[in-house]
Amino acid sequence: MSALNNPVIALVVSLIITVGYFVMVDHYLMDMQGLDFWYLFKN
Amino acid sequence: MGLLVGKRVFSIVALCMMVGLLLLPVVVALPSLAIGEETHAGDAAKKDGDKVEKGRDVYYKTEGIVSGAPAPKTTDGVKDYPRYNFESRVLLWFANQQHLYYGSFVLAVPIFCMIIEFMGVVTKDKALAKRYDQLAYDFIKISLTAYSLTAILGGILIFTFLTLYPAFFSYLSGIFRPVMHIYALMFVAESGTLYIYYYGWDKMKEGFLKWIHLSMSVVLNVIGTLLMFLANSWIGFMMSPAGVDEQGRYLGNIWHVIHTALWNPLNLHRILGNMAFGGGVVAAYAAYKFLASKTDEDRAHYDWMGYIAMALGVAFLIPLPFAGYWLMREVYAYRQQMGITLMGGLLAWLFIIQATMIGILFLSTNYYLWQAMGRMRGAEKYQRYIKYLVFLLACGYMVFITPHTMVMTPAELKAMGGQQHPVLGNYGVMSAKNGGINVIITTTVLSFVWYMRGNKVSTVSWAKFGNIFMGVFFGCAYFNIIFLAVYGYYIPANVRVGLSVPQVATTLSCLFFMFALNSFMMKGAKQMGPIEWGKISARSQYALIMLATAFTWMMGLMGYIRSSVRLFWHVNEIMRDNSPWAYTHTVGFAANMISANVLFFWITILFVFWLGSLTAKKVPVESKAGIPGSVPQPAPSH
Repeated sequence: MSALNNPVIALVVSLIITVGYFVMVDHYLMDMQGLDFWYLFKN
Repeated sequence: MGLLVGKRVFSIVALCMMVGLLLLPVVVALPSLAIGEETHAGDAAKKDGDKVEKGRDVYYKTEGIVSGAPAPKTTDGVKDYPRYNFESRVLLWFANQQHLYYGSFVLAVPIFCMIIEFMGVVTKDKALAKRYDQLAYDFIKISLTAYSLTAILGGILIFTFLTLYPAFFSYLSGIFRPVMHIYALMFVAESGTLYIYYYGWDKMKEGFLKWIHLSMSVVLNVIGTLLMFLANSWIGFMMSPAGVDEQGRYLGNIWHVIHTALWNPLNLHRILGNMAFGGGVVAAYAAYKFLASKTDEDRAHYDWMGYIAMALGVAFLIPLPFAGYWLMREVYAYRQQMGITLMGGLLAWLFIIQATMIGILFLSTNYYLWQAMGRMRGAEKYQRYIKYLVFLLACGYMVFITPHTMVMTPAELKAMGGQQHPVLGNYGVMSAKNGGINVIITTTVLSFVWYMRGNKVSTVSWAKFGNIFMGVFFGCAYFNIIFLAVYGYYIPANVRVGLSVPQVATTLSCLFFMFALNSFMMKGAKQMGPIEWGKISARSQYALIMLATAFTWMMGLMGYIRSSVRLFWHVNEIMRDNSPWAYTHTVGFAANMISANVLFFWITILFVFWLGSLTAKKVPVESKAGIPGSVPQPAPSH
């Protein structure tokens, strides 16, 4: 836990968790509606 | 001992009576639901020489035996639309709106009472528990006076319907005849339960009896909610009829008539709306009392009351736009044209006004919270960041209220090269607006988090990581919302429409995860100082009054929008409105009418508050001593 209180490590871990979470939110919630979140990047 | 047993028996009997009252309408209705309509249909069939006429449900597409008369084809005359030298629709609008305001208030406040009384029962701190209990009692006292006025307004509404729209009312009451008596009995049950609940307060204030009393509030709210659901089924039927054939003849299945396409979205939207409205009205009451208070003791009490009412109201305001999305989605799914009329056609400008009001609600809430941080030591550290929240709110607000098209003269139209402004018009589309409102709501969540940790310092070992994670989560949430809003411009409309779901999920993630994280971090936190209740600027109280007025105005506006989307139909596509008033009013007239309704409501509710204060003055001195906030004192929790 003490390593996590290092600001740089905390920032990196937080970024990994939150970015990963929001990408999943975007992808799966669009997928559940039968839509493709990555439409622009694929076309 | 004997007295205690007697009280217990009395309480249990009272609770059983309430449950009995709740079940009474169902028991009474069962025989008619089971055999009544079929018998009617069967009798009719026998009279016609065993020839049973069948019809097809306009919504469920099922077949049923025709059990009622077709919808009347009205004509523009005194028979169907009696004249009284005044526009009948305006009279009905007024009667309906006032009844709805009061109905919403008296249905919402008992739910608050239930929550606050429960908080009082489970709180271990006895002083705080007593404060919660007194607050719940104050709430129900206000509600009781308003309840009588609601019943009177309900009577006036029925009288107005019967007098001004007899043909329509006769048809609607004919369709809902199998459940009309249930509605009446539910109303009796609601009244009986409310009075037992109120007058039993002092007799059941401790121990087991208190739990019985709390159970009564649950029964009271179940009855109230069912009552509202039944009333909602009428407007649901008028907007999206079901259970009848294309001529409007009842097909014998009352559940189809009640459970229309829009019934459930309306139910959810109204529950949340009522709660937000009720919270706003009680907060305004507390603000008024705060401003009129002469002593620090009263100021402390009403400051606390205003905060609790505002917090409860806003707790229901935050999910309200999402319930609105669901309702609109169902409207589009039911009839696309109806959705277009609402959001992109005749009534679209009213939605710009609605957006303005929603923005005002959130701005007022944030402003109140920032002001409220002034009454706690340690919250100064957040003051310098508030300007950034103002920036975010202002940007979100401006995008949210930007119209897609503008009302212009032909010359202006020509000069601009179309109805859409070349720059601003880009922000007046759904993709941008969704981004705008989600930024506003996320900022409100952030203000709440700051308020909740205002005078505290986390003592958990992972506090630094928690703070950084919270900051990063909010930052990424803002980025995701704005990114999705911009992304919507680059993808086709059929894909873009789905982006609102992850946007909403992002906002809700902030709400649930960050509130939970904050609660964990603040467990056993070090307090920098007490919350000094009553030591808050007068401006904050005006913000509460603003909040309540905006709620009232918006409720009137949304009611008008929902009602006028039927255009020239009493019952959509089933019964045509042939009165001379079957047209859509101008935006200006509608706004004036809504303002008049709001003004009348606030004048009458002030009268109700004044009546309440008369009884409060008669409270003996010993009871007064129990009223919380005798001195500004810390509240262990928010």
